[in-house]
Amino acid sequence: MAKKMKSGWKHHSLVFLLIFVLLLLSACGSQGSNQPADGATTVSEAAGKGAAGAEATGTGNKTLKIGALVSLSGPFAPLGESVKNAVELYADQHGNMLGDYKLELKFEDDENNPQVALRKYRQLVDNEKINLLIGPVSTTVVYAILNEIEKDKIIMLPNAGANDISWSKKSDYIYRVSMASWQLATAGADYFAEHLGKKVYTIAPDYAAGKEMLDAFTAAFTAAGGEIVGQAWPKVGTNDFGSYLSQIATSDIDFVYGFIPGTDGTRFIQQYSQFGLKDKIPLAGAFSFNDPVIIDPAGDAAEGIVSVLHYSYVLDNPINNEFVKAYEEKYSKVPDYFASYGYDAVLAIGKAVQEAGDIGAESLVKAFDGLEFEGTRGTMTIDANTNNLIQKFYISKNVKKDGRIAPEILQDLGVFQMPENEPGN
Amino acid sequence: MNASLLAAQLLNGLAYGMLLFMIAAGLSIIYGFMNIVNLAHGTFFMLAAYAAYSLAGMKVNFWLAIPVAIVLIMIFSIAVEKLLLSFVYGKEHEQVLLTFGLLIIFADMVKWIWGASPRSLPIPPSLDFSITMGILDFPVYRLFVIAVGILVAVALWYFENRTRIGAIIRAGVDDRQMVSALGIHVGIVFTGVFAFGAGLAALSGILGGAILGVYPGMDTETLILSLVVIVIGGLGTWKGAFSGALLVGLLETMGQIWFPSLSMVLIFLCMTVILLVKPTGLFGKKVST
Repeated sequence: MAKKMKSGWKHHSLVFLLIFVLLLLSACGSQGSNQPADGATTVSEAAGKGAAGAEATGTGNKTLKIGALVSLSGPFAPLGESVKNAVELYADQHGNMLGDYKLELKFEDDENNPQVALRKYRQLVDNEKINLLIGPVSTTVVYAILNEIEKDKIIMLPNAGANDISWSKKSDYIYRVSMASWQLATAGADYFAEHLGKKVYTIAPDYAAGKEMLDAFTAAFTAAGGEIVGQAWPKVGTNDFGSYLSQIATSDIDFVYGFIPGTDGTRFIQQYSQFGLKDKIPLAGAFSFNDPVIIDPAGDAAEGIVSVLHYSYVLDNPINNEFVKAYEEKYSKVPDYFASYGYDAVLAIGKAVQEAGDIGAESLVKAFDGLEFEGTRGTMTIDANTNNLIQKFYISKNVKKDGRIAPEILQDLGVFQMPENEPGN
Repeated sequence: MNASLLAAQLLNGLAYGMLLFMIAAGLSIIYGFMNIVNLAHGTFFMLAAYAAYSLAGMKVNFWLAIPVAIVLIMIFSIAVEKLLLSFVYGKEHEQVLLTFGLLIIFADMVKWIWGASPRSLPIPPSLDFSITMGILDFPVYRLFVIAVGILVAVALWYFENRTRIGAIIRAGVDDRQMVSALGIHVGIVFTGVFAFGAGLAALSGILGGAILGVYPGMDTETLILSLVVIVIGGLGTWKGAFSGALLVGLLETMGQIWFPSLSMVLIFLCMTVILLVKPTGLFGKKVST
């Protein structure tokens, strides 16, 4: 017996449904938030965990357990995958041995979500009892787990550009063999101002690394006489850049400077070409735009982009040549930035362990300070002032070679060392 | 702010709006007619996009891949309807739980089969060029999407107003018991409508895959937006989905440039205003239960 209910009833139930769905989804999205404050309850047992872990295997063999917390889903998934590939490649090449130690690896996906990252990090430290941590790749996640690293005294080698871990949040337990946002954005600003023009439109995702890159770029670019005419801040995970591209097309600028990592970068390059901007307005950027993992899927759309490079499979040195060959053999593609970061992280750990003589946190800290080691970018030194790598930067242009788009080095920019303190402080 | 920019933004918004329209139309018809709460509607959208992605990987022609993927999703939707939903007609709580469960299962399955990296569908070569409009070029593929959307709208209008099935559906939205009493086999119409709604979502997923990409999470994003579209536009008729979708599409696209920090909020603000002023939505028909 169907009663004819009020006509708006169904519509209102629809609204409640919508709200219900939103709540459910937001709850599902941040599962880690249901956990109690793990850090507080386990801090007493966590103190000095890094040192205790060394003898925990009980078999008498020396084992080194390295955990990796990287993004294996979301827009940064390809980057995390590269880190994983490279680290596993090292293990393969050396029969799961790092020096005298048996190497045990454990990878976790932080989903580019600080809540999830904290939860996975706790798993790695408490359940897996890792000695060292490689990653994260996302600046947001790095800042989220900083305090835990300090409390647990686990040495971490992040692959993210986060500036503050070299400045205000510098820690004895964090060493970077990748790069810092400041280095990447400052290098090249002069070149762009001189060769591309003084009026720029910038585009970077609206998150910590994007802001840091643009801050550094703006400082360096305006110092070189340039002017930021317009800025776009799409959110991480933006798929459709149409509105931004339309705005770029109608602005009076000399070139576009973009820092868009991950799959967003690929889509941006593709759409930049689709909207007819590729041959009209030069596109310049940071390392993402010469990174094979981003430009290979983009194809011809990536041709002509000028960008700042600090690692490439075309760099010629003994370790890199061997690394590129082995990587290509195992994965049927050339190594990209994050592969080199992952590989260099293991190389750095190897050297530090060798110098320290054991894997206790205290001795490793001493070894990592100012560490010099041979890596994919040549001889690499960790600057004791910032715990970041001192490395060379280049300007490269994407050219079509042998049927693919590859970076061609135009100019050597020399070494860029992060200043000890944040400029302006 | 010049004419070219405005025109380009309008077109961008329209293209996005058309994609939303196709999904929302399916959802509106299903909810309006069958009273089924289908939270897995976004899943149809997503699965179609991934299916098209796999087909593209097998080097299947784009124009062939569209109908193949749509048919696959429609068959899948019929299976869902017959094997699962038919047991919970009239029980809205159970429907919500059931379809939400489906959503979660398939969201994870997609990650398992295709990996978690975002992907994109390649634009078919015949449409992969741009036309110059003033000082910028506009990708023809997006114009194609707008054209398809208009075609679908016209087809739905015709279907709704000029065919017998359309009349049955309109009648069913008004008073389902009466339709059944007239001897029309409502069950078959149900399945047909459900499959049709899923098919529309599938079409949107495939066309959208080249613009928005194919990635885990696209199901929930689209589901939320299509629900908003229906709330704004109103239930029970294609006009509601059309107007709501265009409004949301334009707001989202224009908002990205002119109110970047507010773009998501804008859409929900609009929804709130509509609810206060005209609770059944812009074109909502009074629907029966």
